[in-house]
Amino acid sequence: MNDGGSGPIIRLRRVSVGYGAECVLRDITLDIPGGVFLPFVGPNGAGKTTLLRAILGLLPVKAGTIETPFADEPPGYVAQQKAIDPIYPVSVQEIVEMGCWPLRRSRSIRERRALVERQLERFGLLEHAGKTFGELSGGMRQKALLARALVAEPRVIVMDEPTTELDQATQRMVLDTLHAAARGGCTVLIAHHGLDAIVNRAEKVCLVRDGSVRMMPLSEVHF
Amino acid sequence: MDALHTLLTVFPAAVLSGVAVALMCSMLGVFVILKRMVFIGAVLSEVAALGLAAAMVLHLPPLAGATVTTLAAAVWISRPFEQGRIPRDAVLGAMFAVAGALSILLSAHTGLGLEEVKALLYGDLVLTRRSDLAAILGVVVPLSLLLFLSHRPILYTFLDRDAARLLGLRTGAWEVFFFSALALVISVAARAAGAMLVFAYLTMPASAALLLSRQLRRVMLLAAIFAVTPTLVGLHAAIAWDLPANQLIVALMALPLLSAGLVRGATALRRASRISDQG
Repeated sequence: MNDGGSGPIIRLRRVSVGYGAECVLRDITLDIPGGVFLPFVGPNGAGKTTLLRAILGLLPVKAGTIETPFADEPPGYVAQQKAIDPIYPVSVQEIVEMGCWPLRRSRSIRERRALVERQLERFGLLEHAGKTFGELSGGMRQKALLARALVAEPRVIVMDEPTTELDQATQRMVLDTLHAAARGGCTVLIAHHGLDAIVNRAEKVCLVRDGSVRMMPLSEVHF
Repeated sequence: MDALHTLLTVFPAAVLSGVAVALMCSMLGVFVILKRMVFIGAVLSEVAALGLAAAMVLHLPPLAGATVTTLAAAVWISRPFEQGRIPRDAVLGAMFAVAGALSILLSAHTGLGLEEVKALLYGDLVLTRRSDLAAILGVVVPLSLLLFLSHRPILYTFLDRDAARLLGLRTGAWEVFFFSALALVISVAARAAGAMLVFAYLTMPASAALLLSRQLRRVMLLAAIFAVTPTLVGLHAAIAWDLPANQLIVALMALPLLSAGLVRGATALRRASRISDQG
C-alpha cells in the first residue's frame, strides 16, 4: 500500500447531501487524514451510506465541495446492498480481476494475475476461484467483493457495512485485514452499525447523527 | 435436397441475413437478459416497426426511419432510472403500447393491404432483398468487432455499475453504446426479420444457453448455436413445405429452450436426491 502521509487526503467543505428535495446531512466540514482506519458510526438511517456515497462521487452534493484523489487513484469499494446479480455467469476470479481494471496499462497480464491470486489466497477463495458468484454463500460473496476492492492496492478503501452476513471469525479476519491495510498507509473508511467490532482497531470515529458528522475519539462515542 | 438447393441459390440473401441477425441478436441477448431488460427487445422491435411505417408515410427510406426511431428510443432508455419516480419497465411498457398502436395507425395511412401491413410489421426472412442484406452486414460486421473489443467494460458496467464507475469506466457512455448498438441491429433486422423474430432471437437462445452453462464465453457460443441452427433448419423447412419462415424459426428455437429446461430440471432433481441420500 502507498503511504498516505498524515495530511488530509479527503476534504469536505460545507457539504449538504440528500435525495430529491430531502437533505440528509447539512453543512458538513471534515478533513480525513491519510493512513487511518476511520469507522463512520451512527444509528440506522443517520446518513452513513449517504455520506460515503457523496465522498465517492456516486451521489451529487447539494452544496459545498468534496476534494478527493479518486480521479487519479480509484478507491477500493464494497457497497452495502447486494451489488452483483447472482444470475451473471462470471467466476469469482473474474470478479476479482475486475478490480485490476485501473492497472490494465501499468501492469502486465502476469502481474495482474499474481495480484488476483494473492487476494484469492488471502480470503481463502483459491479453491472457489472457478465457481460463479451465484454459487457462493453470502459470506463468500462478501469476501470476493473485498478481494476485488483490495486487489489494485488502492490508497483509499471505502466499505459500507462490510461485515454484514459474515460469521464472527470472518468478521474479525476482514476487520483485521482492513486495519493492517491502514497501518500500511491505506486510508480505510468504513460504515459500521455498532462499536463492539471496531474497539481496539480505531482511535477515532466519525459519528453520524441528526444530520451532522463529528470526528471524535472512540472513547467519547455513545449512541 | 431440392429445397436446400433452392434456398442457397434463390434465397442466399435470406440465409446470410438470417445467420447474421441470429448471431448478433443472440449474443446481444445474453447481456439483455443478464441486465433483466428482456422487454427492451420487444419495445425496440415495435419502435423499429413504427419507424418503418412513419418512413413510408413520409416517403423516406424505411431503414432511415427505423434507425432514427430506435436510436432515439435506445438513448432515452439507457438513462439511469434508479432515482426516478417510475421504474424503467413502466416507461418501456408505455413505449411498447404507443409504438405498436402508432405503427398500425400509420400503416393504415399508407394505403397498404392487411397482408402488406403484416409483412411490414412481422417481416419475412425468405423475402429478404440484397439491399436489406447489405444494410444488415454493414451494421452487424463492424458492430460485432466493436462489441468483441469492448465486451469487458460493458460487462463490468452491467455487473456492478457503481464499482465500474469508481474503477474509472464511463458507465453512462458504455450503456448508451450498448443500447445504441442494439437499436442499430434491431432497426436493420426489423424489415427482414420482423418484430417477433428479432424479439425471439434476443431472448430464447440466450435463455437456453444460460440454463446450460455458467461460463460467459460458453453461454455466448451456445446462444449463437441455438439461434443459427433453427434459422438454417427453419429456412430450409419453410421452402420445402411452404410454411412462414419467421414463425417456423421461432417455433424451432423453442426446442433448445425446452431441452435446456429439462436438462436443468433433471440436474436439480439428481442433486436433490443425492443430498437426501447423503442425509
